[in-house]
Amino acid sequence: MATLVSVYELPSDVANVVRKLKARGFEDLTTYSPAPFEEIELAEDPRPSKVRAFTLIGGLAGVVTGFGIQIWMSMDWPLKIAGKNIAAIPPMWIIGFELTILFGGILTVLGLFGLGGLYPRPLDEHYSPRFSAEEFGVVVRCEERDVAEVEALMRGHNAKEVNLAPSH
Amino acid sequence: MAPPPASAIADAMNAPGNPRESQTNVDIMAVTKGFHWPWLIALLFALSGVGLAAATLAWQTYEGLGVAGYQAPVFWGVYIITFVFWIGIGHAGTLISAILFLFRAKWRNAINRGAETMTVFAVLTAALFPLIHIGRLWKFYFLLPYPNQRYLWVNFKSPLLWDVFAVNTYLTISLLFFLVGLIPDIAVARDRAVGWKKAVYTVLAGGWQGTGKQWKAHNRTVLHLSGIATPLVLSVHSIVSWDFAMSIVPGWHATIFAPYFVAGAIFGGFAMVVVVMIPVRRIFRLERYITDYHFENMSRFILFTSLICGYAYGAEYFIAWYSGVEFEQTSFWQRAFGPYWFSTWCMIVFNVVMPQLLWIKKLRTNLPFLFILCFFINLGMWFERYVIIITSLSREYVPAAWGLYIPSTVELIVLTGSFCWFSMFFLLFLKMFPIIAIAEVKELEIHAKEHGHGGAH
Repeated sequence: MATLVSVYELPSDVANVVRKLKARGFEDLTTYSPAPFEEIELAEDPRPSKVRAFTLIGGLAGVVTGFGIQIWMSMDWPLKIAGKNIAAIPPMWIIGFELTILFGGILTVLGLFGLGGLYPRPLDEHYSPRFSAEEFGVVVRCEERDVAEVEALMRGHNAKEVNLAPSH
Repeated sequence: MAPPPASAIADAMNAPGNPRESQTNVDIMAVTKGFHWPWLIALLFALSGVGLAAATLAWQTYEGLGVAGYQAPVFWGVYIITFVFWIGIGHAGTLISAILFLFRAKWRNAINRGAETMTVFAVLTAALFPLIHIGRLWKFYFLLPYPNQRYLWVNFKSPLLWDVFAVNTYLTISLLFFLVGLIPDIAVARDRAVGWKKAVYTVLAGGWQGTGKQWKAHNRTVLHLSGIATPLVLSVHSIVSWDFAMSIVPGWHATIFAPYFVAGAIFGGFAMVVVVMIPVRRIFRLERYITDYHFENMSRFILFTSLICGYAYGAEYFIAWYSGVEFEQTSFWQRAFGPYWFSTWCMIVFNVVMPQLLWIKKLRTNLPFLFILCFFINLGMWFERYVIIITSLSREYVPAAWGLYIPSTVELIVLTGSFCWFSMFFLLFLKMFPIIAIAEVKELEIHAKEHGHGGAH
């Protein structure tokens, strides 16, 4: 196996080369970008992010918890207030809503940490501080025999540099 | 092409002169480096204010709330006014970050970090005041539902409890929003730091490298947080307003309170962003990123929300008159012509009359003028809460129970201390993390480069 590391100036070049590489069957690739660009995101993986499932689960857990604790606690220590039911539902919407947002938000961020691999760890071998400046990187792992083809694809899409490293 | 050794890759990628450092990184990270006299002077001033307020609070805690000037019939004084004020200030950050994000208003990119930072520290400051107000700080946990030996639970029908949940949710979500946005920029700082700073930034960046997978999850997280923070920001000040509107006190029991408070919060919050960002831009030479265009847009928001505030003030007086309820009419008459007339007229002049100058385009980009105007708007917004709370409580139903409330020295020191507390956090943040969202500014710059034109940040 070999690894090719290429550097680009523009996000459209990255999006185009990623599309071409994937069309040619080179699926084992990673892009590095200094800022979010939708075109790269769509080229690399057009499927919707799974973060939304975390938001939904968190929101549902929040609304259930919000109403659950209020109904249970109101019934556990019954106190008639202003002639309302012991477990009157209308005022419970407020805390129910707040906990929906709270749990939804927390789970969303946990989803980001999980899906984005955000925890203290060593950086990728081929990551460069240039990718947090203004340049883009595309790293492709391929068979030795495909190196020439991948390099040609990269250079054909305005790669400023293409470097080769053996994969471990 | 013969494969070089693996180490050669890193060498080639990081060879001296090879990495083209981004000017945006250099300019924005320069704020965190070097020595700036105005920053140090401001920090020392803030620390002195916090120290004095802490000592005063310790004395108040020892002596009791009597020293805070609480006396019949006014038991909600400067502390509750200041709580509402700071919660309001915290609204601009979420508005700029979440709502303008959903509307794809790209001009927010240069100011959203400053506004989010302000939000987090403003809500943190606000959250102190209910604790200061209860006097016995060590009993704060009574506000939370927790199992206890008396089998008591909190009253879920009370707006004060709704407030506990709303403020804590807002603080948590604002903090998460702020931290999520900060992660890519901490990675920028990590890649350029050395020594212990690099170690700290490495932990905080959590392995961020800007991979496609990371950006995808990040973008969706920001989108979803924006989606849920938008109704949240509207709910929080609505719930704060219900602390008043759910009662039957004349001047408080009004259905207009929720939208009135929300508009006022956005108005005051934007004014505070302007007050904070003008000196930051000037001292740290950020004119390339925070331009007149940003201040003009913020001025438009301020003008628009000022009109909503003006409408709400007018509607309150109209409804008080039209209702035919004598107590309501008296309460509003007392506001304008009673012992607190000064605060009412300050509120009207600073919040409604003076902002009308922003109809003049030249003034919308005149930064010294904007700074002074926004300072007065903040003063006016504080007076607005003073008018709502104090005039209503001191002039309730029975004239024999009327009283006069004058803030005590203790309250005024703690009020000043709250500004110092907020400034202290903001100033420390300036020297540790990027005050402008680097990645979001770069997104605009790279797009502009690609399409061959410049663009406002």
